[in-house]
Amino acid sequence: MNRRSFVKKVLNGTIAGSLYLVWPMGGDGLEIPEQIPGIRGQDYDILNQKFVFIVDITRCIGCGACCVADKREYNVPDGNYRTWVERYVKGFSDEIYVDSPHGGLDGYQHPRTDIEEEIRDTFFVPKLCNMCKEAPCVQVCPVGATFTSPDGFVLMDEKRCVGCAYCIQACPYSVRFLNPVTKVAEKCTWCYHRVRKGLLPACVEVCPTGARKFGSMKDETSEVYKILKGPGVLTVLRKEMGTFPALYYEGARREVI
Amino acid sequence: MNLSYRLRLLIVLLSIGVLTGGGFLFKNLLLPDSFGVYGPYRSDAITEAALVPIRHGTNAPCFKCHPYEAKIHKTGRHQTISCEFCHGTYADHVADSKKIGTLPVKKEKEITTLCLRCHNNEIKARKEEVIKTISMPNHLKDQNVKITHNCNQCHHVHAPLKYIIRAKKITELMEAGS
Repeated sequence: MNRRSFVKKVLNGTIAGSLYLVWPMGGDGLEIPEQIPGIRGQDYDILNQKFVFIVDITRCIGCGACCVADKREYNVPDGNYRTWVERYVKGFSDEIYVDSPHGGLDGYQHPRTDIEEEIRDTFFVPKLCNMCKEAPCVQVCPVGATFTSPDGFVLMDEKRCVGCAYCIQACPYSVRFLNPVTKVAEKCTWCYHRVRKGLLPACVEVCPTGARKFGSMKDETSEVYKILKGPGVLTVLRKEMGTFPALYYEGARREVI
Repeated sequence: MNLSYRLRLLIVLLSIGVLTGGGFLFKNLLLPDSFGVYGPYRSDAITEAALVPIRHGTNAPCFKCHPYEAKIHKTGRHQTISCEFCHGTYADHVADSKKIGTLPVKKEKEITTLCLRCHNNEIKARKEEVIKTISMPNHLKDQNVKITHNCNQCHHVHAPLKYIIRAKKITELMEAGS
């Protein structure tokens, strides 16, 4: 064992140990049953984890429950969205009309009236952080305030961020924003604080049709493992950018970007 | 320059000392603790991100204190819907196993608006195998009820077909009896 791996192992132990002490004594936490097996009450091996998010576009009904849950979970200021739902309308001339009033927070109550041609297809596309393996936002951060954690999450260090907004420009998926209250960059974390407590992300938890799926690839009984192992057609957004996202879309038309 | 051996040795040693001391100072004063364990960032930030308190509980703690609603909700078609979507977050209601606030209950027209978030047929994007959709006010006309009716006057909000199935059973019994 060399020095690097020794330091890593010791630090893993302290991180896992500290969580192990804090979480079971949290009181309220005991009432909530575990949703992702193999996390709670165990040493969290941060170097040996892989999580995957799958959005099934064919099941999304555009209710906006995920957007509401997201706003409530993080108290996201008005006008900014960690996750949002887009409505794609496809005309018979192959013209694409995309809109997302209020990021889908109020749901989609009315059809679009400003389209003159005949509509061929309408569908909803939920958007959130793609958790890229090669994240452009991490590469450009000058102070190391955003990083890819060893378990594959792209996270923010609010204490180190200087608010230069480089990462906001770098993100090909536009999931980052500058929080007008804290003045630092903010992004979707796939609810890292919930995942580490064995719970599903808030948007997955409230989705009524199961269009959003989340799970560990290390658990062979999880739904996402079965989907990724199966023959279903899965796509990622902007593959040509070489970001290797961990967010997959099921049933996405080629127009979705 | 003509320096003695001892003086040269002193200069070398001094410069090594200044460099190591400077490096040591740089590491201790400018770099935060736990920087560089996994990469060029503060690894304590991972722990901090993991310890953020949650705001959404699941349905399970709701069902614990509201067994009447739980019984209806679990049997109905709306069982996949999270309590918190309509009523608000667990963290606004309970803290340390004590009630800290009352969550709002939707009333009258708010209920219809809420139902139509998912069940509106006008948005031609909702598939029949995923969700049952209707269009307003055609649905009210088809069912021969007043145009001012709200959804919850026929449908139980937690189990939408509860009263519908019951009414059907009664009419079947009446037809069989007559």
